[in-house]
Amino acid sequence: MSRLNAWIQERIPVHGDQLRELTNEPVPNHLKRWWFALGGTPAYLFVVQVVTGILLAFYYQSSPSAAWESVRYITEDARYGWYIRSLHKWAATLMIASVILHQMRVYFTAAYRRPRELNWVIGMCLLMCTLLTGFTGYSLVFEQLSYWGATVAANISDAVPVIGSFGKQMLLAGDTYNERTLPRFYILHAAVLPTTIILLMAVHITFIRLHGVTELHFEDESPDEPDHFNFFPDHLLTELTIGLVLMILLSALATVLPATMGPRANPLVTPEVIKPEWFFYVSFRWLKLFSLSVAVISTGFIIAAMFVWPWIDRLLIRLTRNEDASVYVGIVATFLLIGLTVWEAVVTH
Amino acid sequence: MQEPSGDIRGERTDAVESRPDGSESRRGFLEHAAGVTMAGGLTAGYGMLVSHAVRFLYPSETDPGSWQFVCTLDDLQPGDSMPFTTPAGAKLVVARQAEDPAQDDAFIALSSVCPHLGCKVHWEANNERFFCPCHNGAFDAQGNPIAGPPKAAGQSLTRFPLRIEGNLLMVWVPGTGISEVISETNA
Ligand code: HEM
Ligand code: FES
Repeated sequence: MSRLNAWIQERIPVHGDQLRELTNEPVPNHLKRWWFALGGTPAYLFVVQVVTGILLAFYYQSSPSAAWESVRYITEDARYGWYIRSLHKWAATLMIASVILHQMRVYFTAAYRRPRELNWVIGMCLLMCTLLTGFTGYSLVFEQLSYWGATVAANISDAVPVIGSFGKQMLLAGDTYNERTLPRFYILHAAVLPTTIILLMAVHITFIRLHGVTELHFEDESPDEPDHFNFFPDHLLTELTIGLVLMILLSALATVLPATMGPRANPLVTPEVIKPEWFFYVSFRWLKLFSLSVAVISTGFIIAAMFVWPWIDRLLIRLTRNEDASVYVGIVATFLLIGLTVWEAVVTH
Repeated sequence: MQEPSGDIRGERTDAVESRPDGSESRRGFLEHAAGVTMAGGLTAGYGMLVSHAVRFLYPSETDPGSWQFVCTLDDLQPGDSMPFTTPAGAKLVVARQAEDPAQDDAFIALSSVCPHLGCKVHWEANNERFFCPCHNGAFDAQGNPIAGPPKAAGQSLTRFPLRIEGNLLMVWVPGTGISEVISETNA
Protein backbone atom coordinates (compact mmCIF):
# COMPACT_ATOMS: atom_id res chain seq x y z
CA MET A 1 0.00 0.00 0.00
CA SER A 2 2.68 2.44 0.96
CA ARG A 3 4.62 1.44 -2.14
CA LEU A 4 1.59 2.19 -4.26
CA ASN A 5 1.24 5.50 -2.45
CA ALA A 6 4.85 6.31 -3.06
CA TRP A 7 4.48 5.35 -6.72
CA ILE A 8 1.53 7.70 -7.13
CA GLN A 9 3.18 10.47 -5.14
CA GLU A 10 6.19 10.34 -7.41
CA ARG A 11 4.12 10.58 -10.59
CA ILE A 12 1.49 13.00 -9.34
CA PRO A 13 3.47 15.13 -6.91
CA VAL A 14 0.56 16.83 -5.20
CA HIS A 15 0.24 16.56 -1.47
CA GLY A 16 -2.98 16.04 0.45
CA ASP A 17 -2.14 19.17 2.42
CA GLN A 18 -1.82 21.20 -0.75
CA LEU A 19 -5.17 19.93 -2.00
CA ARG A 20 -6.78 20.73 1.31
CA GLU A 21 -5.36 24.23 1.24
CA LEU A 22 -6.60 24.71 -2.31
CA THR A 23 -10.16 23.66 -1.54
CA ASN A 24 -10.48 24.72 2.05
CA GLU A 25 -11.92 28.15 1.85
CA PRO A 26 -13.62 28.98 5.14
CA VAL A 27 -17.28 29.55 4.34
CA PRO A 28 -19.47 31.93 6.36
CA ASN A 29 -22.23 30.25 8.32
CA HIS A 30 -25.12 31.71 6.35
CA LEU A 31 -24.24 29.44 3.43
CA LYS A 32 -25.75 26.60 5.46
CA ARG A 33 -29.11 28.03 4.42
CA TRP A 34 -30.15 26.79 0.99
CA TRP A 35 -31.25 30.25 -0.06
CA PHE A 36 -27.64 31.44 0.14
CA ALA A 37 -26.09 28.43 -1.51
CA LEU A 38 -28.29 28.80 -4.59
CA GLY A 39 -25.35 29.50 -6.90
CA GLY A 40 -24.36 25.84 -6.77
CA THR A 41 -27.76 24.74 -8.08
CA PRO A 42 -27.41 26.01 -11.67
CA ALA A 43 -23.85 24.61 -11.70
CA TYR A 44 -25.16 21.18 -10.74
CA LEU A 45 -28.03 21.36 -13.22
CA PHE A 46 -25.60 22.41 -15.93
CA VAL A 47 -23.76 19.11 -15.46
CA VAL A 48 -27.09 17.29 -15.77
CA GLN A 49 -27.70 19.18 -19.04
CA VAL A 50 -24.30 18.21 -20.43
CA VAL A 51 -24.82 14.52 -19.65
CA THR A 52 -28.43 14.27 -20.88
CA GLY A 53 -27.67 16.56 -23.83
CA ILE A 54 -24.85 14.31 -25.04
CA LEU A 55 -27.19 11.34 -24.78
CA LEU A 56 -29.89 13.10 -26.82
CA ALA A 57 -27.31 14.09 -29.46
CA PHE A 58 -26.83 10.41 -30.28
CA TYR A 59 -30.28 10.43 -31.93
CA TYR A 60 -31.07 14.05 -32.71
CA GLN A 61 -30.85 15.18 -36.36
CA SER A 62 -30.61 18.88 -37.11
CA SER A 63 -31.97 19.00 -40.66
CA PRO A 64 -35.43 20.58 -40.91
CA SER A 65 -36.84 17.59 -42.77
CA ALA A 66 -35.68 15.14 -40.08
CA ALA A 67 -35.56 17.12 -36.83
CA TRP A 68 -39.13 16.73 -35.60
CA GLU A 69 -39.20 13.04 -36.50
CA SER A 70 -35.93 12.39 -34.66
CA VAL A 71 -37.33 14.02 -31.51
CA ARG A 72 -40.49 11.96 -31.89
CA TYR A 73 -38.31 8.85 -32.16
CA ILE A 74 -36.48 9.77 -28.96
CA THR A 75 -39.75 10.48 -27.14
CA GLU A 76 -41.79 7.51 -28.31
CA ASP A 77 -39.53 4.75 -29.63
CA ALA A 78 -36.07 4.90 -28.10
CA ARG A 79 -35.81 2.99 -24.84
CA TYR A 80 -35.91 5.50 -21.93
CA GLY A 81 -35.82 8.27 -24.52
CA TRP A 82 -38.80 9.99 -22.88
CA TYR A 83 -36.94 9.94 -19.56
CA ILE A 84 -33.69 11.40 -20.90
CA ARG A 85 -35.54 14.07 -22.89
CA SER A 86 -37.76 14.97 -19.94
CA LEU A 87 -34.77 15.23 -17.62
CA HIS A 88 -33.13 17.61 -20.10
CA LYS A 89 -36.25 19.70 -20.34
CA TRP A 90 -36.95 19.91 -16.63
CA ALA A 91 -33.32 20.55 -15.70
CA ALA A 92 -33.35 23.43 -18.20
CA THR A 93 -36.43 24.88 -16.54
CA LEU A 94 -34.99 24.50 -13.05
CA MET A 95 -31.62 25.85 -14.16
CA ILE A 96 -33.14 29.04 -15.47
CA ALA A 97 -35.33 29.38 -12.39
CA SER A 98 -32.38 28.86 -10.06
CA VAL A 99 -30.15 31.32 -11.93
CA ILE A 100 -32.88 33.92 -11.51
CA LEU A 101 -33.32 33.08 -7.80
CA HIS A 102 -29.55 33.14 -7.27
CA GLN A 103 -29.36 36.52 -8.93
CA MET A 104 -32.20 37.80 -6.75
CA ARG A 105 -30.43 36.70 -3.59
CA VAL A 106 -27.21 38.37 -4.76
CA TYR A 107 -29.22 41.48 -5.57
CA PHE A 108 -31.21 41.76 -2.36
CA THR A 109 -28.19 41.09 -0.16
CA ALA A 110 -26.23 43.70 -2.21
CA ALA A 111 -23.45 41.14 -2.64
CA TYR A 112 -22.51 42.80 -5.95
CA ARG A 113 -21.10 45.85 -4.21
CA ARG A 114 -17.41 46.79 -4.16
CA PRO A 115 -15.17 44.85 -4.80
CA ARG A 116 -17.46 42.28 -6.47
CA GLU A 117 -18.85 44.40 -9.32
CA LEU A 118 -17.07 42.44 -12.03
CA ASN A 119 -18.45 39.15 -10.81
CA TRP A 120 -21.95 40.60 -11.13
CA VAL A 121 -21.16 41.43 -14.75
CA ILE A 122 -19.87 37.88 -15.33
CA GLY A 123 -23.09 36.65 -13.70
CA MET A 124 -25.15 38.73 -16.14
CA CYS A 125 -23.24 37.13 -19.02
CA LEU A 126 -24.11 33.74 -17.52
CA LEU A 127 -27.78 34.75 -17.34
CA MET A 128 -27.79 35.82 -20.99
CA CYS A 129 -26.04 32.62 -22.11
CA THR A 130 -28.45 30.50 -20.08
CA LEU A 131 -31.50 32.20 -21.62
CA LEU A 132 -30.03 31.89 -25.12
CA THR A 133 -29.34 28.21 -24.54
CA GLY A 134 -32.94 27.74 -23.46
CA PHE A 135 -34.19 29.54 -26.55
CA THR A 136 -32.01 27.65 -29.06
CA GLY A 137 -32.82 24.35 -27.36
CA TYR A 138 -36.55 24.91 -27.69
CA SER A 139 -36.08 25.67 -31.40
CA LEU A 140 -34.45 22.29 -31.98
CA VAL A 141 -37.69 20.34 -31.44
CA PHE A 142 -39.00 21.99 -34.63
CA GLU A 143 -42.60 21.95 -33.57
CA GLN A 144 -44.94 24.79 -34.52
CA LEU A 145 -44.10 26.93 -31.52
CA SER A 146 -40.36 26.35 -32.00
CA TYR A 147 -40.58 27.58 -35.56
CA TRP A 148 -42.75 30.61 -34.94
CA GLY A 149 -40.89 31.50 -31.76
CA ALA A 150 -37.63 31.56 -33.70
CA THR A 151 -39.19 33.61 -36.49
CA VAL A 152 -40.51 36.17 -34.03
CA ALA A 153 -37.20 36.30 -32.14
CA ALA A 154 -35.17 36.83 -35.32
CA ASN A 155 -37.43 39.66 -36.37
CA ILE A 156 -37.11 41.24 -32.94
CA SER A 157 -33.38 41.17 -33.50
CA ASP A 158 -33.99 42.85 -36.86
CA ALA A 159 -35.59 45.78 -35.05
CA VAL A 160 -32.54 46.44 -32.89
CA PRO A 161 -30.86 49.62 -34.15
CA VAL A 162 -27.52 49.37 -36.02
CA ILE A 163 -26.52 45.74 -35.38
CA GLY A 164 -30.00 44.21 -35.56
CA SER A 165 -30.19 43.13 -39.18
CA PHE A 166 -26.67 41.70 -39.00
CA GLY A 167 -27.77 39.74 -35.93
CA LYS A 168 -30.84 38.41 -37.70
CA GLN A 169 -28.81 37.28 -40.72
CA MET A 170 -26.28 35.58 -38.48
CA LEU A 171 -29.02 33.84 -36.50
CA LEU A 172 -31.15 32.64 -39.41
CA ALA A 173 -28.45 32.30 -42.09
CA GLY A 174 -30.70 34.31 -44.40
CA ASP A 175 -33.62 36.76 -44.46
CA THR A 176 -36.08 34.17 -43.28
CA TYR A 177 -36.05 30.78 -41.60
CA ASN A 178 -34.48 28.42 -44.15
CA GLU A 179 -32.89 24.98 -44.33
CA ARG A 180 -29.57 26.32 -43.03
CA THR A 181 -31.16 27.81 -39.90
CA LEU A 182 -31.67 24.77 -37.72
CA PRO A 183 -28.02 23.56 -37.86
CA ARG A 184 -27.03 26.99 -36.57
CA PHE A 185 -29.33 26.70 -33.58
CA TYR A 186 -27.97 23.23 -32.94
CA ILE A 187 -24.29 24.16 -32.92
CA LEU A 188 -25.03 27.22 -30.78
CA HIS A 189 -27.07 25.15 -28.35
CA ALA A 190 -24.80 22.11 -28.10
CA ALA A 191 -21.31 23.56 -28.52
CA VAL A 192 -20.84 27.32 -28.58
CA LEU A 193 -23.05 28.34 -25.65
CA PRO A 194 -22.14 25.47 -23.29
CA THR A 195 -18.42 26.11 -23.83
CA THR A 196 -18.96 29.80 -23.16
CA ILE A 197 -20.91 28.95 -20.00
CA ILE A 198 -18.11 26.69 -18.75
CA LEU A 199 -15.50 29.41 -19.29
CA LEU A 200 -17.68 32.04 -17.62
CA MET A 201 -18.39 29.74 -14.66
CA ALA A 202 -14.66 29.16 -14.24
CA VAL A 203 -14.03 32.91 -14.05
CA HIS A 204 -17.10 33.38 -11.81
CA ILE A 205 -15.90 30.79 -9.32
CA THR A 206 -12.30 32.04 -9.44
CA PHE A 207 -13.58 35.48 -8.49
CA ILE A 208 -15.57 33.99 -5.62
CA ARG A 209 -12.43 32.25 -4.35
CA LEU A 210 -10.42 35.44 -4.64
CA HIS A 211 -12.91 37.65 -2.78
CA GLY A 212 -14.66 35.05 -0.64
CA VAL A 213 -18.43 35.28 -0.46
CA THR A 214 -19.94 38.37 1.13
CA GLU A 215 -20.08 38.15 4.93
CA LEU A 216 -23.56 38.55 6.28
CA HIS A 217 -24.53 38.50 9.93
CA PHE A 218 -27.82 37.55 11.45
CA GLU A 219 -29.31 38.29 14.83
CA ASP A 220 -29.98 34.67 15.68
CA GLU A 221 -26.30 33.77 15.45
CA SER A 222 -24.67 33.54 18.85
CA PRO A 223 -21.36 35.40 19.02
CA ASP A 224 -19.44 32.57 20.69
CA GLU A 225 -20.05 30.02 17.94
CA PRO A 226 -17.44 30.03 15.18
CA ASP A 227 -18.83 32.09 12.31
CA HIS A 228 -17.18 30.06 9.55
CA PHE A 229 -17.11 26.41 8.59
CA ASN A 230 -14.92 24.50 6.16
CA PHE A 231 -15.63 24.22 2.49
CA PHE A 232 -14.28 20.68 2.55
CA PRO A 233 -16.00 18.52 3.56
CA ASP A 234 -18.82 20.52 5.17
CA HIS A 235 -19.95 22.74 2.33
CA LEU A 236 -19.33 20.03 -0.22
CA LEU A 237 -21.74 17.83 1.73
CA THR A 238 -24.36 20.59 1.64
CA GLU A 239 -23.97 20.82 -2.12
CA LEU A 240 -24.10 17.02 -2.51
CA THR A 241 -27.32 16.95 -0.52
CA ILE A 242 -28.81 19.63 -2.73
CA GLY A 243 -27.66 17.61 -5.76
CA LEU A 244 -29.41 14.47 -4.53
CA VAL A 245 -32.63 16.30 -3.75
CA LEU A 246 -32.52 17.88 -7.21
CA MET A 247 -32.02 14.51 -8.88
CA ILE A 248 -35.06 13.08 -7.09
CA LEU A 249 -37.09 16.16 -7.96
CA LEU A 250 -36.03 15.96 -11.62
CA SER A 251 -36.87 12.28 -11.85
CA ALA A 252 -40.27 12.85 -10.30
CA LEU A 253 -41.05 15.76 -12.62
CA ALA A 254 -39.84 13.83 -15.67
CA THR A 255 -42.07 10.89 -14.76
CA VAL A 256 -45.19 12.79 -13.78
CA LEU A 257 -44.98 15.54 -16.41
CA PRO A 258 -42.90 14.13 -19.27
CA ALA A 259 -41.94 16.22 -22.29
CA THR A 260 -44.46 15.90 -25.13
CA MET A 261 -44.54 16.61 -28.88
CA GLY A 262 -46.43 19.51 -30.41
CA PRO A 263 -47.45 19.55 -34.09
CA ARG A 264 -44.61 19.72 -36.59
CA ALA A 265 -43.47 23.15 -37.80
CA ASN A 266 -45.56 24.51 -40.65
CA PRO A 267 -44.23 27.72 -42.20
CA LEU A 268 -47.56 28.34 -43.95
CA VAL A 269 -49.74 28.50 -40.84
CA THR A 270 -49.18 30.44 -37.67
CA PRO A 271 -50.95 28.62 -34.82
CA GLU A 272 -53.93 30.43 -33.31
CA VAL A 273 -52.31 30.58 -29.89
CA ILE A 274 -48.62 31.28 -29.88
CA LYS A 275 -46.47 31.47 -26.77
CA PRO A 276 -42.75 31.28 -26.13
CA GLU A 277 -41.23 29.33 -23.22
CA TRP A 278 -42.29 30.62 -19.80
CA PHE A 279 -39.05 32.51 -19.18
CA PHE A 280 -39.77 34.77 -22.13
CA TYR A 281 -43.38 35.52 -21.07
CA VAL A 282 -42.22 38.82 -19.57
CA SER A 283 -40.71 40.10 -22.79
CA PHE A 284 -43.57 38.67 -24.85
CA ARG A 285 -46.12 40.60 -22.81
CA TRP A 286 -43.91 43.68 -23.00
CA LEU A 287 -43.93 43.37 -26.82
CA LYS A 288 -47.71 43.38 -26.92
CA LEU A 289 -47.90 46.51 -24.80
CA PHE A 290 -45.77 48.76 -26.97
CA SER A 291 -44.82 49.32 -30.56
CA LEU A 292 -41.83 47.27 -31.63
CA SER A 293 -39.19 49.99 -31.49
CA VAL A 294 -40.31 51.15 -28.05
CA ALA A 295 -40.35 47.56 -26.77
CA VAL A 296 -36.92 46.73 -28.19
CA ILE A 297 -35.20 49.91 -27.08
CA SER A 298 -36.68 49.75 -23.57
CA THR A 299 -35.69 46.08 -23.24
CA GLY A 300 -32.15 46.89 -24.36
CA PHE A 301 -32.04 49.72 -21.86
CA ILE A 302 -33.22 47.49 -19.00
CA ILE A 303 -30.65 44.79 -19.80
CA ALA A 304 -27.87 47.37 -20.05
CA ALA A 305 -28.92 48.81 -16.71
CA MET A 306 -28.81 45.32 -15.18
CA PHE A 307 -25.26 44.83 -16.46
CA VAL A 308 -23.98 48.05 -14.89
CA TRP A 309 -26.22 47.85 -11.83
CA PRO A 310 -23.34 47.93 -9.27
CA TRP A 311 -22.40 51.38 -10.52
CA ILE A 312 -25.98 52.62 -10.83
CA ASP A 313 -26.44 51.43 -7.25
CA ARG A 314 -23.53 53.64 -6.09
CA LEU A 315 -25.06 56.60 -7.83
CA LEU A 316 -28.44 55.88 -6.28
CA ILE A 317 -26.96 55.73 -2.80
CA ARG A 318 -25.24 59.06 -3.34
CA LEU A 319 -28.40 60.67 -4.68
CA THR A 320 -30.88 59.29 -2.14
CA ARG A 321 -28.49 58.98 0.82
CA ASN A 322 -30.20 55.68 1.48
CA GLU A 323 -28.17 52.45 1.56
CA ASP A 324 -31.27 50.44 0.73
CA ALA A 325 -32.51 52.34 -2.31
CA SER A 326 -31.75 49.34 -4.51
CA VAL A 327 -34.06 47.18 -2.42
CA TYR A 328 -37.06 49.30 -3.40
CA VAL A 329 -36.09 49.18 -7.07
CA GLY A 330 -35.71 45.42 -6.70
CA ILE A 331 -39.14 44.99 -5.16
CA VAL A 332 -40.79 46.95 -7.98
CA ALA A 333 -38.83 44.97 -10.59
CA THR A 334 -39.76 41.65 -8.98
CA PHE A 335 -43.46 42.52 -8.94
CA LEU A 336 -43.26 43.63 -12.57
CA LEU A 337 -41.49 40.41 -13.53
CA ILE A 338 -44.02 38.21 -11.76
CA GLY A 339 -46.99 40.33 -12.83
CA LEU A 340 -46.17 40.32 -16.54
CA THR A 341 -45.31 36.61 -16.49
CA VAL A 342 -48.59 35.67 -14.83
CA TRP A 343 -50.55 37.98 -17.12
CA GLU A 344 -49.08 36.31 -20.20
CA ALA A 345 -49.66 32.88 -18.68
CA VAL A 346 -53.37 33.32 -18.03
CA VAL A 347 -54.58 34.95 -21.27
CA THR A 348 -54.67 33.27 -24.68
CA HIS A 349 -53.84 36.35 -26.71
CA MET B 1 6.35 23.30 -6.19
CA GLN B 2 10.12 23.05 -6.59
CA GLU B 3 12.21 25.63 -8.36
CA PRO B 4 13.97 23.94 -11.28
CA SER B 5 17.64 23.73 -10.46
CA GLY B 6 19.86 26.01 -12.44
CA ASP B 7 22.19 23.41 -13.87
CA ILE B 8 19.43 21.81 -15.92
CA ARG B 9 17.71 24.93 -17.18
CA GLY B 10 20.79 27.16 -17.35
CA GLU B 11 21.27 30.39 -15.43
CA ARG B 12 19.06 33.29 -16.31
CA THR B 13 21.18 36.23 -17.41
CA ASP B 14 19.77 39.66 -17.80
CA ALA B 15 22.12 40.80 -20.53
CA VAL B 16 20.44 44.12 -21.16
CA GLU B 17 21.09 45.47 -17.70
CA SER B 18 24.77 44.68 -17.77
CA ARG B 19 25.69 46.68 -20.88
CA PRO B 20 27.36 49.93 -19.90
CA ASP B 21 28.28 51.18 -23.38
CA GLY B 22 25.07 52.60 -24.83
CA SER B 23 24.16 49.54 -26.87
CA GLU B 24 21.51 49.12 -24.24
CA SER B 25 19.17 51.65 -25.77
CA ARG B 26 19.78 50.34 -29.31
CA ARG B 27 19.10 46.86 -28.10
CA GLY B 28 16.08 48.05 -26.18
CA PHE B 29 14.77 49.64 -29.35
CA LEU B 30 15.34 46.49 -31.38
CA GLU B 31 13.62 44.35 -28.81
CA HIS B 32 10.75 46.78 -28.71
CA ALA B 33 10.47 46.82 -32.50
CA ALA B 34 10.59 43.03 -32.61
CA GLY B 35 7.85 42.85 -30.02
CA VAL B 36 5.64 45.29 -31.89
CA THR B 37 6.22 43.47 -35.18
CA MET B 38 5.40 40.17 -33.57
CA ALA B 39 2.21 41.49 -32.00
CA GLY B 40 1.25 43.17 -35.26
CA GLY B 41 1.83 40.00 -37.25
CA LEU B 42 -0.19 37.91 -34.82
CA THR B 43 -3.03 40.42 -34.78
CA ALA B 44 -3.08 40.67 -38.56
CA GLY B 45 -2.93 36.89 -38.98
CA TYR B 46 -5.57 35.94 -36.45
CA GLY B 47 -7.60 39.00 -37.36
CA MET B 48 -7.75 37.75 -40.93
CA LEU B 49 -8.93 34.37 -39.69
CA VAL B 50 -11.68 35.98 -37.60
CA SER B 51 -12.79 38.14 -40.52
CA HIS B 52 -12.93 35.11 -42.81
CA ALA B 53 -14.89 33.21 -40.17
CA VAL B 54 -17.46 35.99 -39.81
CA ARG B 55 -17.85 36.22 -43.58
CA PHE B 56 -18.19 32.44 -43.74
CA LEU B 57 -20.97 32.53 -41.17
CA TYR B 58 -22.76 35.48 -42.75
CA PRO B 59 -25.26 34.07 -45.27
CA SER B 60 -24.12 34.18 -48.89
CA GLU B 61 -26.32 35.63 -51.63
CA THR B 62 -29.22 33.35 -52.44
CA ASP B 63 -31.85 33.39 -55.15
CA PRO B 64 -33.08 37.02 -55.12
CA GLY B 65 -36.52 36.32 -56.58
CA SER B 66 -38.43 36.39 -59.87
CA TRP B 67 -41.61 37.53 -61.64
CA GLN B 68 -44.37 34.94 -61.43
CA PHE B 69 -47.56 34.61 -63.45
CA VAL B 70 -50.72 35.16 -61.37
CA CYS B 71 -53.66 35.16 -63.80
CA THR B 72 -54.99 36.86 -66.88
CA LEU B 73 -56.62 40.25 -66.36
CA ASP B 74 -60.06 38.83 -67.19
CA ASP B 75 -59.77 36.23 -64.43
CA LEU B 76 -59.96 38.94 -61.82
CA GLN B 77 -62.97 41.28 -62.01
CA PRO B 78 -63.12 44.58 -60.09
CA GLY B 79 -63.97 43.90 -56.44
CA ASP B 80 -62.69 40.31 -56.60
CA SER B 81 -59.69 38.86 -54.83
CA MET B 82 -57.82 35.59 -55.08
CA PRO B 83 -55.21 33.76 -52.99
CA PHE B 84 -51.82 33.09 -54.52
CA THR B 85 -49.06 30.84 -53.18
CA THR B 86 -45.51 31.35 -54.39
CA PRO B 87 -43.27 28.37 -55.17
CA ALA B 88 -41.47 29.03 -51.88
CA GLY B 89 -44.77 28.86 -50.02
CA ALA B 90 -45.40 32.54 -49.30
CA LYS B 91 -49.13 33.24 -49.33
CA LEU B 92 -50.48 36.40 -50.94
CA VAL B 93 -53.86 37.90 -51.60
CA VAL B 94 -54.24 39.56 -55.00
CA ALA B 95 -57.23 41.88 -55.47
CA ARG B 96 -58.57 44.10 -58.26
CA GLN B 97 -59.83 47.49 -57.12
CA ALA B 98 -60.59 49.27 -60.41
CA GLU B 99 -61.89 48.58 -63.89
CA ASP B 100 -59.10 50.36 -65.75
CA PRO B 101 -55.93 48.27 -65.47
CA ALA B 102 -53.81 51.32 -66.25
CA GLN B 103 -55.06 53.14 -63.17
CA ASP B 104 -52.73 53.27 -60.15
CA ASP B 105 -53.56 50.57 -57.64
CA ALA B 106 -55.99 48.85 -59.99
CA PHE B 107 -54.48 45.64 -58.66
CA ILE B 108 -52.89 45.05 -55.27
CA ALA B 109 -51.04 42.02 -53.93
CA LEU B 110 -50.76 41.80 -50.15
CA SER B 111 -48.38 39.58 -48.27
CA SER B 112 -49.77 37.41 -45.51
CA VAL B 113 -46.62 37.99 -43.47
CA CYS B 114 -47.30 40.32 -40.55
CA PRO B 115 -44.99 43.37 -40.74
CA HIS B 116 -44.62 43.33 -36.95
CA LEU B 117 -42.64 40.16 -36.38
CA GLY B 118 -43.33 37.89 -39.29
CA CYS B 119 -46.19 35.62 -38.24
CA LYS B 120 -48.83 34.63 -40.82
CA VAL B 121 -52.01 36.68 -40.82
CA HIS B 122 -55.32 35.13 -41.83
CA TRP B 123 -58.54 36.64 -43.16
CA GLU B 124 -61.37 36.76 -40.64
CA ALA B 125 -64.47 36.97 -42.82
CA ASN B 126 -66.83 37.85 -39.96
CA ASN B 127 -64.67 40.77 -38.82
CA GLU B 128 -63.60 41.71 -42.35
CA ARG B 129 -60.01 41.97 -41.28
CA PHE B 130 -56.68 40.17 -41.43
CA PHE B 131 -55.75 38.96 -37.95
CA CYS B 132 -52.29 38.10 -36.62
CA PRO B 133 -52.39 35.73 -33.62
CA CYS B 134 -48.85 36.49 -32.42
CA HIS B 135 -49.47 39.85 -30.78
CA ASN B 136 -53.08 40.56 -31.75
CA GLY B 137 -52.33 42.67 -34.82
CA ALA B 138 -55.16 43.43 -37.29
CA PHE B 139 -55.39 44.95 -40.79
CA ASP B 140 -58.24 46.05 -43.03
CA ALA B 141 -58.84 44.65 -46.50
CA GLN B 142 -56.34 47.10 -47.99
CA GLY B 143 -53.66 45.94 -45.56
CA ASN B 144 -53.75 49.07 -43.40
CA PRO B 145 -53.15 48.41 -39.70
CA ILE B 146 -56.20 48.79 -37.47
CA ALA B 147 -55.11 47.21 -34.15
CA GLY B 148 -52.21 45.91 -32.08
CA PRO B 149 -48.49 46.61 -32.45
CA PRO B 150 -48.73 47.12 -36.24
CA LYS B 151 -51.23 49.92 -35.59
CA ALA B 152 -48.98 51.44 -32.93
CA ALA B 153 -46.04 51.42 -35.33
CA GLY B 154 -48.07 52.28 -38.44
CA GLN B 155 -46.98 49.17 -40.37
CA SER B 156 -49.16 47.95 -43.23
CA LEU B 157 -49.12 44.50 -44.79
CA THR B 158 -46.35 44.41 -47.39
CA ARG B 159 -47.48 44.97 -50.95
CA PHE B 160 -45.83 42.85 -53.57
CA PRO B 161 -44.87 44.59 -56.81
CA LEU B 162 -47.23 43.79 -59.69
CA ARG B 163 -46.68 44.19 -63.40
CA ILE B 164 -49.03 43.86 -66.35
CA GLU B 165 -47.60 42.26 -69.44
CA GLY B 166 -50.18 42.44 -72.19
CA ASN B 167 -53.11 40.55 -70.72
CA LEU B 168 -51.11 38.86 -67.97
CA LEU B 169 -50.79 39.87 -64.34
CA MET B 170 -47.30 39.16 -62.92
CA VAL B 171 -46.09 39.42 -59.32
CA TRP B 172 -42.53 39.75 -58.02
CA VAL B 173 -41.80 37.07 -55.41
CA PRO B 174 -38.67 36.75 -53.30
CA GLY B 175 -36.38 33.69 -53.39
CA THR B 176 -36.78 30.24 -51.90
CA GLY B 177 -37.72 29.61 -48.29
CA ILE B 178 -37.91 26.60 -46.07
CA SER B 179 -41.37 25.34 -47.02
CA GLU B 180 -40.13 23.57 -50.16
CA VAL B 181 -37.75 21.49 -48.08
CA ILE B 182 -40.37 20.68 -45.51
CA SER B 183 -43.32 20.06 -47.78
CA GLU B 184 -41.47 17.11 -49.33
CA THR B 185 -41.67 15.30 -46.03
CA ASN B 186 -44.73 16.95 -44.52
CA ALA B 187 -47.21 14.34 -45.64
C1 HEM C 1 -24.87 29.48 -14.74
C2 HEM C 1 -25.20 30.32 -13.84
C3 HEM C 1 -24.51 30.59 -12.52
C4 HEM C 1 -23.75 29.76 -11.72
C5 HEM C 1 -23.40 28.32 -11.99
C6 HEM C 1 -23.34 30.51 -10.57
C7 HEM C 1 -22.57 30.01 -9.52
C8 HEM C 1 -22.27 30.71 -8.36
C9 HEM C 1 -21.79 30.15 -7.13
C10 HEM C 1 -21.50 28.69 -6.84
C11 HEM C 1 -21.65 31.18 -6.23
C12 HEM C 1 -21.23 31.04 -4.75
C13 HEM C 1 -22.22 31.67 -3.78
C14 HEM C 1 -23.61 31.11 -3.79
O1 HEM C 1 -23.77 29.88 -3.89
O2 HEM C 1 -24.57 31.88 -3.66
C15 HEM C 1 -21.98 32.39 -6.93
C16 HEM C 1 -21.89 33.68 -6.39
C17 HEM C 1 -22.16 34.88 -7.09
N1 HEM C 1 -22.91 34.99 -8.25
FE1 HEM C 1 -23.36 33.39 -9.47
N2 HEM C 1 -23.84 31.79 -10.69
C18 HEM C 1 -24.55 31.88 -11.86
C19 HEM C 1 -25.22 33.00 -12.33
C20 HEM C 1 -25.13 34.29 -11.77
C21 HEM C 1 -25.91 35.43 -12.18
C22 HEM C 1 -26.99 35.41 -13.24
C23 HEM C 1 -25.49 36.50 -11.41
C24 HEM C 1 -25.97 37.93 -11.40
C25 HEM C 1 -26.06 38.70 -12.45
C26 HEM C 1 -24.45 36.02 -10.53
C27 HEM C 1 -23.73 36.81 -9.64
C28 HEM C 1 -23.00 36.32 -8.59
C29 HEM C 1 -22.25 37.12 -7.62
C30 HEM C 1 -22.07 38.65 -7.64
C31 HEM C 1 -21.73 36.21 -6.67
C32 HEM C 1 -20.94 36.54 -5.41
C33 HEM C 1 -21.94 36.53 -4.26
C34 HEM C 1 -21.33 36.71 -2.91
O3 HEM C 1 -20.17 37.13 -2.83
O4 HEM C 1 -22.06 36.44 -1.91
N3 HEM C 1 -24.29 34.68 -10.75
N4 HEM C 1 -22.38 32.09 -8.21
S1 FES D 1 -46.19 39.34 -35.49
FE1 FES D 1 -48.14 40.04 -36.03
S2 FES D 1 -48.70 41.25 -34.34
FE2 FES D 1 -46.68 40.61 -33.84
